[in-house]
Amino acid sequence: MKFKIVYDKPGRIRFRCGGGVFDKTLESAVHKLALTNSCVISAEVHCENGGILVYYKKGHREEVIKTVSQINPKELAPIENGGGVRKIDTDFKSDICRLIVKRFVSKAILPVSIGNLIVIAKGLKYICRAVNTLGEGRLNVDVLDGASVAACLAQKNYTTAGTIMFMLSVSALLEDYTKAKTKAALTDSLAVKTDKVWLVTDKTDVLIPMKDLKSGDIIRIRTGSVIPVDGEVTEGEAYVNEASMTGEPLNVMKSQGATVFAGTVVEEGSIAVRVRELSGNTKIQKIIELIDNSENLKASVQSRAENLADSIVPFSFLGFGLTLLLTRNVTKAVSILMVDYSCAIKLSTPISVISAIREAADHDITVKGGKYLEEFALADSVVFDKTGTLTNAEPVLERVISFGDYTEDETLKIAACLEEHFPHSVARAIVKGASDKGIDHIEEHAEVQYIVAHGIATELHNERAVVGSRHFVSEDEGVTITEEQQTEIDEKSGACSVVYLAIGGKLAGALCISDPPRAEAKEAVARLKKAGIKNIIMLTGDSLKAAEITAEKLGITEYRAQVLPEDKHSYVEKLKADGRRVIMVGDGINDAPALAAANVSVAMSDASDVARETADITLRSSNLSELAVLRTLSERLMERINRNYRFIVGFNSALLISGLAGIITPSMSAFLHNASTMAICAKSMTTLIDKSKKEK
Amino acid sequence: MLSCLKNEKLWCAIGGAAAVIVGKKIVKSKKTRQLAVTGLAKGMKLQSDAKELLQNMKDEAADICCDAKAEAGIADEAAETEVCE
Repeated sequence: MKFKIVYDKPGRIRFRCGGGVFDKTLESAVHKLALTNSCVISAEVHCENGGILVYYKKGHREEVIKTVSQINPKELAPIENGGGVRKIDTDFKSDICRLIVKRFVSKAILPVSIGNLIVIAKGLKYICRAVNTLGEGRLNVDVLDGASVAACLAQKNYTTAGTIMFMLSVSALLEDYTKAKTKAALTDSLAVKTDKVWLVTDKTDVLIPMKDLKSGDIIRIRTGSVIPVDGEVTEGEAYVNEASMTGEPLNVMKSQGATVFAGTVVEEGSIAVRVRELSGNTKIQKIIELIDNSENLKASVQSRAENLADSIVPFSFLGFGLTLLLTRNVTKAVSILMVDYSCAIKLSTPISVISAIREAADHDITVKGGKYLEEFALADSVVFDKTGTLTNAEPVLERVISFGDYTEDETLKIAACLEEHFPHSVARAIVKGASDKGIDHIEEHAEVQYIVAHGIATELHNERAVVGSRHFVSEDEGVTITEEQQTEIDEKSGACSVVYLAIGGKLAGALCISDPPRAEAKEAVARLKKAGIKNIIMLTGDSLKAAEITAEKLGITEYRAQVLPEDKHSYVEKLKADGRRVIMVGDGINDAPALAAANVSVAMSDASDVARETADITLRSSNLSELAVLRTLSERLMERINRNYRFIVGFNSALLISGLAGIITPSMSAFLHNASTMAICAKSMTTLIDKSKKEK
Repeated sequence: MLSCLKNEKLWCAIGGAAAVIVGKKIVKSKKTRQLAVTGLAKGMKLQSDAKELLQNMKDEAADICCDAKAEAGIADEAAETEVCE
């Protein structure tokens, strides 16, 4: 691409290719290409003058110039929904300017008669829509709008009719803008972030960037990975969690010929998938549509508002009829039609909810529906999973206890030798503990067998060696742990979890592993208590002692230790049966059933894919304090909705009475009503939490 | 008969019919169409030129503003965070 450099300072360079080199549809594609260079920090692209502004890491000017010169607009294809939030902002600004300019300019330059004709033509559209809606047997805001416009036209009050229609257009534009902006923010946060995939070729699997993937390619997806595309299984079998699509927490078996969807997770197994659709145009978009439209996901306050809004409409007509009958004054009767509660309620409530979801996204919290914000505001109990949620899930080896002929170093060496074969966090802690102590080991054991959720078993010098939980070593493997040994372990382990090592049926040692709480966990718990959460409960699979010490550190008074995954689920169900409204915060695969059972569930940023897919709310930063922020946000949202209600009812009642008393004209009444609706919508779009305060 | 010719409404009707016939010829003629297309194209070109000019001015203003910020020692936010276009 040919260009002129019009600004060139270290770290910032502006290219100009001239207008018409690429059009608006290719802006996003050019922007994306510019960002492919790792030296580029950010870029701005404008099609009007073919301008590309690039911020880059200083010292990489030539590489940036090369990247831009290699862009060939003829080879680019438009990116669907590529504009993002900024495009929506620009479009909204230009639309609203156009609407305002059109109204005032046409009013100023057009002769009155032509202006009136235009008003009639526009008014007919509203009337037709009202008639159609009535034809479908519905009596809603559309009918009211049509009736208001028709009444004004019948009275030859063209200015009022024009004002009403202008206000309605602006309100519609505002609503579309807020919804589009929120959807764009949600798309960004929910978009599949898988950057690289394993492409199946004739010889072997090759790791390729996602952007190189084409429809028809076959990719391999293994346990724990998100499926990045829609496609068909060509090989292998796997249990897939489709909670993100269907809300169903139980896994579905997928084998050859089955269809899999982007955003779902392979929980166990390995499958090869033939790509049908790439992630740009897959189900993620549909999930977002679902959030917007699904009645199940709407906050009940929102559904109530919408039902209430429609149910008020007949009363507006009744008021109109009665006023006409009693006063025989059309002007006064029309005043009733001009003012309705429904329009403001119906507009401001979804805008408030959607804006709150967007604001949550700005705080790095993804909320998958308005319903969950409402539940979060109303909840009185929080259940935390301990490992990975209240702690960083980065266990560290605290100490080694040895028994029999083994020294501490020998115990650690053998344990590390066995554990290094498995990428489990506790195993990593033991291996790291050994390497920190400078203990090297050579492989002396036979093939290692991994017993899920229990431990590891192998043959070492013709003796059976096992490492794992007490339950596994003592009960499953029948190793005797004497009372003295257990007392010594209990004394020395403190709050740590203990991994047992037994060789030849005898206990050889114990390894004490601790998992320190997150730095901000204590503060987060305190803030949640302050925010009105009465019960904060910690569930953990660890020993009672470890749970007790962690709970004490964090100021948690209620906890359950040695809880199995299925118990977490039943515990949440029990709390709900007791009449509590429960927030479950978890991170692991085993938390998924409990997450699904809670009134509202939250997954941590570093949670397993399954937990993230199952949870109603996901944190994108690993800061637990965001929970308190979300609580404040959700409570303020509820306050805002209720305040809006009160204002709408109060203000519009005042308008009605003033109209009936003849204090204000229908035109003034329409203006005040619509202006108040717009004002309340604009106010509903503002942030609920002052970000600067949050940063402080 | 002559009084018929003095009827204003008749002349208006004849004039109207003549205007329709001539108008139709003019609208349908290649020359008119060409003129309209050229006029529209010029208008569109003018619009895109104006947009280009406006964008150039915006860019230059942004550059001047950026230099001023740099001189005043204020960090440019875009250089630190990605701008989503």
